[in-house]
Amino acid sequence: MSEYAIECNNLTHYYGKKLVYENLNIKVREGSILGLLGKNGAGKTTTINILNGFLQPRSGECLIYGENTQHLTPENKARIGFLIEGHVQYAFMNIHQIEKFYSKFYDKWDNEPYWQLMSKLKVTPTQKISTMSCGQRSQVALGLILAQDPDLLILDDFSMGLDPGYRRLFIDYLREYAKAKNKTIFTTSHIIQDMERLIDDVLIMDYNRVLAQRDVNEFMREFKQFYLEVENPSIDLSKEDFVANFEKVNNKIEIYTYESEEMVQNFLKSNGISYKNFEKIEMGLEDAFIGLTGKY
Amino acid sequence: MWKGMIYKEWLKIRWFLLIYAGIGILSVVYCFIRVQHDITFSSPNGYWYFLLFMGGQYFSLLKFLPGIGALAIAIAQYFPETVSKRIKLTFHLPLNENKALLTMWLFGAGTLFISYLLQFLLFTGLSLIYFPGDIFVPAISSILPWFLAGFACYNLTALIVLEPVWKYRIFYLIVAVLFVPLLLQSALTDGFSPVNPFMAVLVLLSSFSLLFSGYRFRKGEM
Repeated sequence: MSEYAIECNNLTHYYGKKLVYENLNIKVREGSILGLLGKNGAGKTTTINILNGFLQPRSGECLIYGENTQHLTPENKARIGFLIEGHVQYAFMNIHQIEKFYSKFYDKWDNEPYWQLMSKLKVTPTQKISTMSCGQRSQVALGLILAQDPDLLILDDFSMGLDPGYRRLFIDYLREYAKAKNKTIFTTSHIIQDMERLIDDVLIMDYNRVLAQRDVNEFMREFKQFYLEVENPSIDLSKEDFVANFEKVNNKIEIYTYESEEMVQNFLKSNGISYKNFEKIEMGLEDAFIGLTGKY
Repeated sequence: MWKGMIYKEWLKIRWFLLIYAGIGILSVVYCFIRVQHDITFSSPNGYWYFLLFMGGQYFSLLKFLPGIGALAIAIAQYFPETVSKRIKLTFHLPLNENKALLTMWLFGAGTLFISYLLQFLLFTGLSLIYFPGDIFVPAISSILPWFLAGFACYNLTALIVLEPVWKYRIFYLIVAVLFVPLLLQSALTDGFSPVNPFMAVLVLLSSFSLLFSGYRFRKGEM
């Protein structure tokens, strides 16, 4: 039995002639929470669609619990909780009807966490989901996933449309649940601060490639930003091997790297680059993400 | 699980179905109120002559009703699945995707069948009261293609609404626009009886067509 809940091997996909990514490999350990980060169009939703069997990759395969995601058996699908971008649910149902509907499909169905969440919402029992706010809908979607009690949760941009309070509620509830019950989560979100509170591992994608896939704490420890002001504003360090990304405005430079402060300073000195105000900048995950992928 | 699927489909179409069934029954009753009126205000002989030799149809009001009902029920049933690609939720349920689609189809077509059957039985029963076999048997043969048109409308609407690729959607729409009117051609009473079995087979074949749209959606075609 594999230790991975998700394994994607040599995944390649195109939309028409446009390459989305080539030979992408992803592994998600059982019991871990992986956050997939990427700019718009980097292939996050494409990956989620392949994982759920809604898109056939040009080549390569994704396995969930050892089964190809293009042909998941009902038993395996029952182990996967899926949150669609925008917390989409059957909007013509009310909270009682939707609970009754889903309960008929899952043997492990436990409605307690669902009603616990619903009790916090100010909705009437007959109010249709279509008339609820985005935040309320997010709680309905989350409650249904918790009641399903899946082993793996795939969440596509769970923070979309949520105000800060609901985002925090969603994340805290989710992390508590996942850690208490050893669940695996594969998630994307465009609000990266949210991910910082939630994930164990990070996968950062840029157009056509993976920039980082590792433990998020390790990544945050090893990936650094240095600020300096150089005398010669025409200097360009972007091609240097140790530079992951390089941003420059006039003579003010930001260097993003996995190397140490000492190594960077030695490099500058040994190459005769005059500088001042050298400083290591503390970064959050969002800063690190922008630092790695660039602002454009 | 099928109970869950039926519950979901019922929630989507219940009001459309009940309203349609009500309108269907009222329409059949209205046809015979008109028959009663015509018999009362002209002579029965004259009215029968009009039906037997002048191509008169006492049931023409029912012509478009099955098609309109099927269209409304199919849209009520399948359109909510396409809003925000909600069909993903259905495909993610722990059952085979084709089985899920066929359960949806079976429920929609089944409820349509029941409402058609109610109209048909009422129509036959009332016809038996008013007319001899020489009149009502050809009448039944004449209304059958209209019910077939209803099923064709239902199948093709499901196919078109669920189809993710616009060029296919337009192609299916053209097929529907060409095929459904064939079943609604004005013809003499009983004029359709030779082709009714052939048309029924064609409509039956279109029953499974929504599986093509479902397959294309699952492959991510856009």
